Amino acid sequence: MPRVDLLDSECAPITVQQYFANGDPGPIVGALATVPELLEPTLGFVGAALGAGAIGVRYKEFAILRTSVLQGCDYCIHAHTAVSLDSGLSTTEVRALRGEIPLEAGFALESERSLIGWIDALAGATGPVPDDVWSAARRHWGEHVLVELTVTIGATMFLNRFATGLQLPTADHVLERLTTEGLA
Amino acid sequence: MTDTIAPSDTVADAVRSGELPGRVWLYSNYNCNLACSYCLTESSPRSERRQLSAEQMIAVAEQAKNLGFTALGITGGEPFLIPWLPETALAMAESLPLVLLTNGTLFTGDRFERAARLAHPDIALQISLDSHLPDVNDMARGPDNFAKVVQAVPLLIARGVRVRIATTVSGALDDPLLDPLKQLVASLGVREDDHLIRPIVRRGRADEVGLGIRAVARDIPNELTITADGAFWGSFGPTVRSGRLDTDLLLTRTILPLAVPAAALLAASRGMPAGTDARLGIR
Ligand code: SF4
Repeated sequence: MPRVDLLDSECAPITVQQYFANGDPGPIVGALATVPELLEPTLGFVGAALGAGAIGVRYKEFAILRTSVLQGCDYCIHAHTAVSLDSGLSTTEVRALRGEIPLEAGFALESERSLIGWIDALAGATGPVPDDVWSAARRHWGEHVLVELTVTIGATMFLNRFATGLQLPTADHVLERLTTEGLA
Repeated sequence: MTDTIAPSDTVADAVRSGELPGRVWLYSNYNCNLACSYCLTESSPRSERRQLSAEQMIAVAEQAKNLGFTALGITGGEPFLIPWLPETALAMAESLPLVLLTNGTLFTGDRFERAARLAHPDIALQISLDSHLPDVNDMARGPDNFAKVVQAVPLLIARGVRVRIATTVSGALDDPLLDPLKQLVASLGVREDDHLIRPIVRRGRADEVGLGIRAVARDIPNELTITADGAFWGSFGPTVRSGRLDTDLLLTRTILPLAVPAAALLAASRGMPAGTDARLGIR
């Protein structure tokens, strides 16, 4: 059960009704609409940080799914397991990002593992991030890639705590699909 | 957030051109000593207060003036349940002229003396009276309402307080059956143009019992309305249904600085089709 009212098109505030014009926009919008002045800037930021960018959806999904696993956010793990599969990640890669099999079993390339190392160091720990993790990632990736990935990780952590704190529910169709794929 | 705050001259221009109404409403509180059948906010003695502070109300008044708004209104709930309300209203009237809505049933003893202090050129009290027949009036508004109002009004006028009477009707606004009420109101010393006649709006408790005209956003004048729960489109915006605040006309949860909800109101107004509020006579 969500902890807050998830607004629907009937009670959507006048300033954000456009988000409800094409049917149910989902629980994140439904919860954010309670403070309508935050909806647009928040979606703008989260959309830019999690959506398609210079680094491509494959690495975005690395960041989003892995961060959500490290933060223990069921809502985002469910949603982005489905998005990851839709973005072309294999079931094995998804399982590796979810920590169900060793990382090496899912990712043969050291470059990709170094990226995941950066995600783990940021989202799976607190305090300073070790130099060797940064250096390992920098050997393979440009600064702008790591800056973009860092924004995605941070935005995902925000979303993780938002969804977990407010107990946002996973959509039924997502759960059904993940059950069929053995990834629920 | 800065791009959502309109420069003050934009709001002032919109008020000057009539795009935005000049009046800013404040819901001082939601609780009331009465529990009228058509109440938009389901107010009653048991309602949560959800009260604005005096500091917030005075800040809204000052900032409304600076933004280019031209008038203020205080409503509730029953504002006179708040002991400091008259002093706050006087302070607010330093910024802009003010109309203060009240059910007029609390004006005895100390409360009368406090209300009498509101004899001020820029303050009017607006009191509800729905029928010249005590039983009919009191059916919707509660026992002895009629007697208390007709007693208080001439006494307030005698002390120099400007009093307006507001009549809420479920039928036609020009019904000849309203004539005796108009005569009664005039006999209390109220100026003819200080007697407002308006329809019940079907929101809040009125909606639950199927009373009044159906109103959607474009039917409701887009007066900026400030409450403890946020800023709304129109004074009929922050209604309550089955104990829950309606959020369909919510603009922002931020109330101060007032430029934030004012900008949101202006943006929402520009996105709305032309209204029919003049035809419905909601005010
Ligand atoms: S309509 Fe006015 S007087 Fe009646 S219960 Fe509501 S706030 Fe009180």
